[in-house]
Amino acid sequence: MLPDAPELLSLFGIGVVLTLLVGFYSVLTSQNLIRTLIGMEVLTKGVTLLIIVVGYVVGQIALAQALAITLIIIEVAVIVVAVGIVLCVHKHTNSIDTRDLGNLKG
Amino acid sequence: MLSLLILVPLAGLLLLNLPFTPAMKRTAWAFAFTVALAQVAMVLVAPAAAWSQQGFLAQYFSFGLEAKDLTRVLLLAIGIVMATTLMVGRSMITDDRQQFNFVNLLLVSIIGMNGVVLVTDLFSLYVFLEVTSVSSFILIAFNRDLGGLEGAFKYLILSAVATVLMLTGVALLMLVAGGTSFETVAAAMKTSGGITISQMAVGAFVCGLFIKGGLVPFHGWLPDAYSSAPAPVSILLAGIVTKVSGIYALVRLATSVFPASGAMNEVLMVVGAASIIVGALAALGQHDLKRMLAYSSISQMGYIVLGLGCGTPLGIVGAVFHLFNHAIFKTLLFVNSAAIEQRTGTTDMNRMGGLGSRMPVTGVTSTIAALSTAGVPPLAGFWSKLIIVIALWQAHDYGFAGIAVLMSVVTLAYLLLMQRRIFFGKTSPEHAGVREAAAGVVVPELVLAALTVAVGLLFPWVLNTFMLPVGGIFH
Repeated sequence: MLPDAPELLSLFGIGVVLTLLVGFYSVLTSQNLIRTLIGMEVLTKGVTLLIIVVGYVVGQIALAQALAITLIIIEVAVIVVAVGIVLCVHKHTNSIDTRDLGNLKG
Repeated sequence: MLSLLILVPLAGLLLLNLPFTPAMKRTAWAFAFTVALAQVAMVLVAPAAAWSQQGFLAQYFSFGLEAKDLTRVLLLAIGIVMATTLMVGRSMITDDRQQFNFVNLLLVSIIGMNGVVLVTDLFSLYVFLEVTSVSSFILIAFNRDLGGLEGAFKYLILSAVATVLMLTGVALLMLVAGGTSFETVAAAMKTSGGITISQMAVGAFVCGLFIKGGLVPFHGWLPDAYSSAPAPVSILLAGIVTKVSGIYALVRLATSVFPASGAMNEVLMVVGAASIIVGALAALGQHDLKRMLAYSSISQMGYIVLGLGCGTPLGIVGAVFHLFNHAIFKTLLFVNSAAIEQRTGTTDMNRMGGLGSRMPVTGVTSTIAALSTAGVPPLAGFWSKLIIVIALWQAHDYGFAGIAVLMSVVTLAYLLLMQRRIFFGKTSPEHAGVREAAAGVVVPELVLAALTVAVGLLFPWVLNTFMLPVGGIFH
């Protein structure tokens, strides 16, 4: 642990928590499929930041870097599939509103 | 040797998609089927030496893989379900191009699942979970119909939330342990498992796994995804994907990485019991066959988690045994639903009836699977449920044992209701011309039914050879 670890952690910790809250809020309340995906991205960015800060604090910067880069690459794959799904939905319903997407119930 | 389980499908995937190999594209199905069968054969006959990671390949591809007894049970289930999915897919997807895409996605899925069961590092676990999930998203939306797209989108969003929770857990554990490998984390948990940060980390990670495994109260996506996916994909999802990505990871981490604590076991048991009750009661009210089977899956997952939460070696043995049995008989039930969908074009149980005389093999195998799910002796499901109930009783959790036994009766109720609505009674004029399903569906039905009966009858041998070592490794 570094000597300035507590300050660093609390400083970045607040940022991470705020980013995660914004992401969760957006995922939960948005009725626009694209905005939901943006919220999902914001969530992931918050976690990436957390991993980098933790890696710096415990002195494992190389490990944290590897994890962050892998995370970004995987995120790209997921978001490509997600946007593909939204595009197909748009072709069917001509809208990207979640309220047009409620056929499965029970 | 172990890295071959990941590298062979990967190499095949790359070769099949090279632009100058149109002839090889026709061999895609045969290749994937061989991979699945080779995996089954490897688990059954490979000598102990094959299960260590050494030699030429290990020098260049050291993912830190490891195969314990638990892993082997899962590898066997993955091989069996994958072979079944391929056979049903070949029979139900007629377009050549579509079938090629389907086989490719299954290869990605097999890489992901083999990775999940073999890795020994929390972050690698996340990577392979994501590989499995991404192929599942595409497979659910495979037909690009609106229902499939909706199911896939719901799964995707909840899976993303699960991912964020798990990664937060990984980051916090890294803060405590200074690394992400199972060994480092387990060692750090022994000394500082009680502090708030590690408890938060474990809580976040386990919540993520609950979402991935579709356990109550995080089960919202599961019935939608299962029922809207194409028939062969439902088999894969229900048979193995949610088990590997949610339940297996939970069993592995709860038993050998996270600290064993009373609070954790309590949470597991409450979530398990809630899943059993909610899943079984919701299944009673469904009229769509696949949706009913999906709720039944939630309920059976509850049994696995309940056994795990018991915390004793016997409970864990029961959980893993039920995991394997459930992979077999739920796959069989979904193959039956695929056979019915193939011939009648619907999964609505209100529009069926009297199919038993038209589709004798499907009817009989469906009865076997249903009785096994409900835990009727001497079929496979009876023994694993019995072990779980005995373990709960021994641990003095009488209330949970009572729930497990009572809900077995409800399970029998909704499955017999399903049998009556689909196979008994008079055939409706709409389905007068229905024949038995194609050979590609009937053969897996027979094999899986034979497996269910065989595991039930040869129960002592199966228990001693495969299951009891699973209980042993945790001590």
